[in-house]
Amino acid sequence: MNPEPFLQLDRVIHEKGRLAIMSMLAASPELSFTELRDALTMTDGNLTTHIRALQQEGYISVAKSYQNNRPLTTCSLTPAGRKAFAEYINLLEQIIRQTRSK
Amino acid sequence: MESNWAAEQLQTIRTLMERSAVYRRALAPIMLFAGLTGLVTMGLGLCLDINSGRGFCGLWLGAAAVAVTGAFLLARRQAIKDREPFWSPPTRRVTQALLPPLLAGLSLGLLLLVFGHGIELAASLIWILFYGCALHAAGFFMPRGIKWFGWIFILSACGLFYAFMLHWFDFEVNPHELMGFFFGVLHLAYGAYLYLTEKGKNAA
Repeated sequence: MNPEPFLQLDRVIHEKGRLAIMSMLAASPELSFTELRDALTMTDGNLTTHIRALQQEGYISVAKSYQNNRPLTTCSLTPAGRKAFAEYINLLEQIIRQTRSK
Repeated sequence: MESNWAAEQLQTIRTLMERSAVYRRALAPIMLFAGLTGLVTMGLGLCLDINSGRGFCGLWLGAAAVAVTGAFLLARRQAIKDREPFWSPPTRRVTQALLPPLLAGLSLGLLLLVFGHGIELAASLIWILFYGCALHAAGFFMPRGIKWFGWIFILSACGLFYAFMLHWFDFEVNPHELMGFFFGVLHLAYGAYLYLTEKGKNAA
C-alpha cells in the first residue's frame, strides 16, 4: 500500500477532538461555544485549547458578541479550514480506495 | 486495517456533521403568522357563535391547515432568499419529528368532525398536548427554546385536564378562547420574543 495519503493527513485536524470540532462546523454556518461543548461533551478548558489550536492554524474564526446581555462566542470555519477539511476527507477516501483495490 | 480505520473515521465525521446540522431558519415570522391565524380563528369562532362539535373541529382544522401552509411558504421564501435548498437534511429531520403527533391530532380532529359533539374542551386540550409533543420532538433539531415552548403546552394541557376534571374553575371556559390563548397569544408572544432576539441571518 502506498503510505503517501496516510502521511499527508493534516496533523492539526487529525487529533480526535479537533476533528470533531471541524466536522460539526463543516455542517453548520456557525456554532456557539456552548453548542460545541454540549454536543461534544468536552470541558471548557479542553474545548478552548482545541479552538485556539485551530484558530492559530487559520482553520476557524472566533467571534465574540452579546446576546440577551450575555457574552456569546461563536465559531465558524474559514475558507482555509473548509479546504483543509475537504482535503482530509479526500485523503481518507483515497486510503479506503487504495486498500480495497489491492 | 487502515481501510477500516479510515472508514470508521469517515462514519464518525458523517455522524457529527448530521448532528450539527440544526434547523436555523428564522422562526419569528412563522410564529407571528401562526399566532395571528390563531387569534383570527378565535375571533371567527366567537363572532359566528360556532358551538357545535363539527363546526369547532372544522374551524380549527382549517386554521391548522392555513398555519401549516403559511409556515411552509415562509420557510421556503427564506430558503430562496438565502439561495439555499429548502428540503435540507435539518428540514427533513424537523418534519419527521413533527409529523407523528400532528398526524395523531389530525386523526382525532377528523374523528370528532364526523362523530364528535360536546367534547370540544377535551379536544382542545388533546390538541394542545399533541402540539406540545410535536414542538418538543422537533426541538431536538432546533434551537433550545422550542423544547421549552413545547413543555409549556404539554404541562399546561396536563394541568388543565386535572383542573377541568376536578372542577377547580368556578366559571365556564370557552374552547375557542382556550385555543385562541394557546395557538394565538402564546405564539404571538414567542414570535415577538424571537423577533427581538433572533439573529438576522439564519440557515437550515
